[in-house]
Amino acid sequence: MTTHFISAEIDLTANPLTLKQEIEKRLQEEGKPLRWAITAVDEEKQKVKVEAIVTK
Amino acid sequence: MASRKPYFTVLIIPTGIGATIGGYAGDALPVAKAIAQVCDHLITHPNVMNGASLYWWADNIEYVEGYALDKFASGEWGLQPVRQNRIGIIFDQSIEKELLYRHIQVADGIRATLGIEVVDYIITDEAVGVELKIAPSGTSWGTINNQGTLLRAAEKLIREKGVNALAVVARFPDDTGSQTLQNYRYGKGVDALAGAEAIISHLLVRQFQIPCAHSPALSPLPLDISVSPKAVAEELGFTFLPCVLVGLSRAPQYTQSRNPYSFWADDVDSVVIPINACGGSSILSFAAKDVLIIAVEENQTVLDVTPEKLGLSVVRVKSYLEAIGVIVAHRGGISLQSLQPNLPSLFHQNP
Repeated sequence: MTTHFISAEIDLTANPLTLKQEIEKRLQEEGKPLRWAITAVDEEKQKVKVEAIVTK
Repeated sequence: MASRKPYFTVLIIPTGIGATIGGYAGDALPVAKAIAQVCDHLITHPNVMNGASLYWWADNIEYVEGYALDKFASGEWGLQPVRQNRIGIIFDQSIEKELLYRHIQVADGIRATLGIEVVDYIITDEAVGVELKIAPSGTSWGTINNQGTLLRAAEKLIREKGVNALAVVARFPDDTGSQTLQNYRYGKGVDALAGAEAIISHLLVRQFQIPCAHSPALSPLPLDISVSPKAVAEELGFTFLPCVLVGLSRAPQYTQSRNPYSFWADDVDSVVIPINACGGSSILSFAAKDVLIIAVEENQTVLDVTPEKLGLSVVRVKSYLEAIGVIVAHRGGISLQSLQPNLPSLFHQNP
């Protein structure tokens, strides 16, 4: 098991819980998330940028 | 102050994002102490409470590791108050002998002087191998080359010594001259160690579901009297370990079963966060509940994730002092609007 840094773009949703679930779903495709945060928001494209550390 | 139910506040200041308050050496601790005066329970995390050689303890401040805080916020885990935890310490095999002995002396001193139960320590069977990185966003993170050695050490302490809280001391790379370090010592920029520290404790909490906190082992830095008061707590001793042991000694355990003494996300009344770091897991979880979120403008970070950009409904305040006023009003059931100089009438234009 090793730690990896990943970044991902996710569609911004109005419901914060849905947004969180979408982020976690996307990160789980890359590994098991340890720590993540939205680090930027593109309001024009309605996307959020997520930086995360996952283990796999 | 009479209350229908205990009032819970969560104070979040994420680590490694250059928060102007809470981005250095336990420099948000006064904020936690002040908020704890106006709520029944303050739930916060090691980044807020850890000041290396300096620490504080209060009966109503709950010290919850960041991964556990995310699980708490999502409603998956509850917090179970304790009288005292049985702490075990994991030392990275890479720590030099003299530096290791300094840390063991901290454990002995904490037992003798503060009466904290440190049961035993273990040295990892291999080097942990911490590497520090800065992400494109400017926040700090890091990798652990050998997670297995940490997990094996923790399992042994839990199984053989019956510990229920873990302090971890990993050897971090020394830095004596980088601009990042210089900035940090002067109370500017990002804590380069913080991201990797969070990874270590998150890993252990995810695996074992017991309180955990990390303290880096580093060689002492040369004396510099220009070091900022916000960062200097980390330059007073040989280790950063005292605050971790104090925090862990009464840190609530994590539970998945409800009982009369456990706290759950549904108990939380208000959450206090920096204004431009709203994109964390805990904050999104709380934003989906009926919780008052107070966003503090003067606590700036390297991020630009404001509540408005995420469509979160919050009360914006200028300072933590103002946040405390908002908590007092909220706890007292007083409409914030009623405290403004102008209160619009309820009359419709054409009644």
